Amino acid sequence: MTLILTYRLGNDLYGLEIDAIQEIIEDAELHHVPRATGVICGTINFHGQILSVIDLPTLLDFAVDKHDHRHLVLTSEHRSLVLKTSRVERIVNLEMEYLEPPPADHDRPAVRGIIEFDESIINLLDTDEVIKQLEDIYAE
Amino acid sequence: MRIEISYKFIIGFIVVVVSGILVNLVVPYIKGIEPEFRQVFAIFCSLVVGLIIGSVFSRAFSDKIRRLTSAGDRIRQGDLSEDVVVVSSFPDETNDLAKAMNQFQASLRILVGDIRNIAFRVASSSQNLSGTSQEMSASAQEVARATDQITKGAETQAEMVEESTRLFKEVAVSIKLVASSAKTVADSADQTLETARSGNDMAGSSLDSIRQVLTEAESSGQQMVNFIAQLEKISTFVEVINGIAQKTNLLALNATIEAARAGEYGHGFAVVAEEIRKLADSTTTSADEITGLVESIRTEGQQVQTSMAQVIDEMESGREAADRTNQAFSEITQNAEGTRAKASSIAELAEQQISSAERINRAIDEIGRVVSDNAAATEQVSAATEEQSAAMEEMAQSTKELSNMSESMLQIVKQFKLVKEQEQD
Repeated sequence: MTLILTYRLGNDLYGLEIDAIQEIIEDAELHHVPRATGVICGTINFHGQILSVIDLPTLLDFAVDKHDHRHLVLTSEHRSLVLKTSRVERIVNLEMEYLEPPPADHDRPAVRGIIEFDESIINLLDTDEVIKQLEDIYAE
Repeated sequence: MRIEISYKFIIGFIVVVVSGILVNLVVPYIKGIEPEFRQVFAIFCSLVVGLIIGSVFSRAFSDKIRRLTSAGDRIRQGDLSEDVVVVSSFPDETNDLAKAMNQFQASLRILVGDIRNIAFRVASSSQNLSGTSQEMSASAQEVARATDQITKGAETQAEMVEESTRLFKEVAVSIKLVASSAKTVADSADQTLETARSGNDMAGSSLDSIRQVLTEAESSGQQMVNFIAQLEKISTFVEVINGIAQKTNLLALNATIEAARAGEYGHGFAVVAEEIRKLADSTTTSADEITGLVESIRTEGQQVQTSMAQVIDEMESGREAADRTNQAFSEITQNAEGTRAKASSIAELAEQQISSAERINRAIDEIGRVVSDNAAATEQVSAATEEQSAAMEEMAQSTKELSNMSESMLQIVKQFKLVKEQEQD
């Protein structure tokens, strides 16, 4: 049994194991970063650490719409990324043996696998893919 | 020297006798005559003398008689223009006769002249009279025509009087109708007055009710405003609760993450955190429901407020209408009072008019009688005028006859010749 935090990117339901999440923060004071791309919203002070806030829907080419005021702060194993989502939903308990790889024709980006829950599909986020895309952007 | 005829005869005889004697005396002296023839000669001479004297004398006498006869004949024929003239050296009875005839002729001439003058005058008078009688006849006809017209006029008058009587009776009936109508109007005005007064009272009481309702509605409106203000407070509280629920939700999520990191030891804590999260979610749901409820209550409250305002507005206009109704009833009351007064005075006037109309009717009857009398009198006048006209025509006829008579008299008198032809011309 694994606890998964679900959240929305646009209208699509995504998920992330809570082992990868350090904390969920709300109404963090956002500092503007000069010359940052549209993907980096700015930086926050998280317990003394300066962390960059990634606009995940924009990065993964989702239609930009409303954001809630919550951000996911990932663990240091995941580069301590701060992800801004469309809306944080809830934590669900899932059996990971039902996790399936995304089908060949799956068009959602950065999906590590899919799992069915409550008659809807949860796309598990591939954080490595996210990091790779960020690195691609900054390598340019 | 006047010598009467008898003397003339005697003188003639004497002259013949004397001449016979003288001849007898003279003859012897005459030579040539035989004595035996002397006697015959003397007789012959005496006869010659007697014949000569007798012839002269009888010629003169015959001449005078002829003159007298011709003068008498002339007078008989009407010629009075010439005097009878008998010329003689020795006037005798023939001269007397001529003188007498002249005197007779003069008298006759005067008489005829007088008769002629009178005839002239009669003729002219009769002509005048004829003219006058014609004029009078014409006047009489004129009078007759005028009288006819008067008669017709009197008939028309009588008809008009009858018509007037009839009309006036109708007028009297109409006046009675007016009087009764005026009474009805006065009664109706009384009823209207009563109704208007009760209507006025009702309007006043409805006005009071409206005022009371209006006051209540205003206080209700105020209460509704207060209620909505309190709803706002509830909304604020709900927002606070919602915020708390969100925070709780976040805390629960982080608690779950922390519990997971704690491994087996964190399991119970994770369950508690999940329960807390569920409570926070249901709190949010309830808070959302409360917000929705508050929103709909506020919407309804605003609708109620709007309706209340409309009601107040309508009440206000109702109050104005009731005010106007009140005013109108007051005016109706005044008008009805005026109408009643006017109708009463109309009724009184109509009563007076009825008595006047009766008097007028009597007067018209009187006029009718007078007109009838007039008509009768006019007919009498007409008859008299006709009689007069007839008499006038008779007179004209007589005058004509008189004129004719005078004419014929003139004709007769004209046969007498009073002066000579050249003098007459």
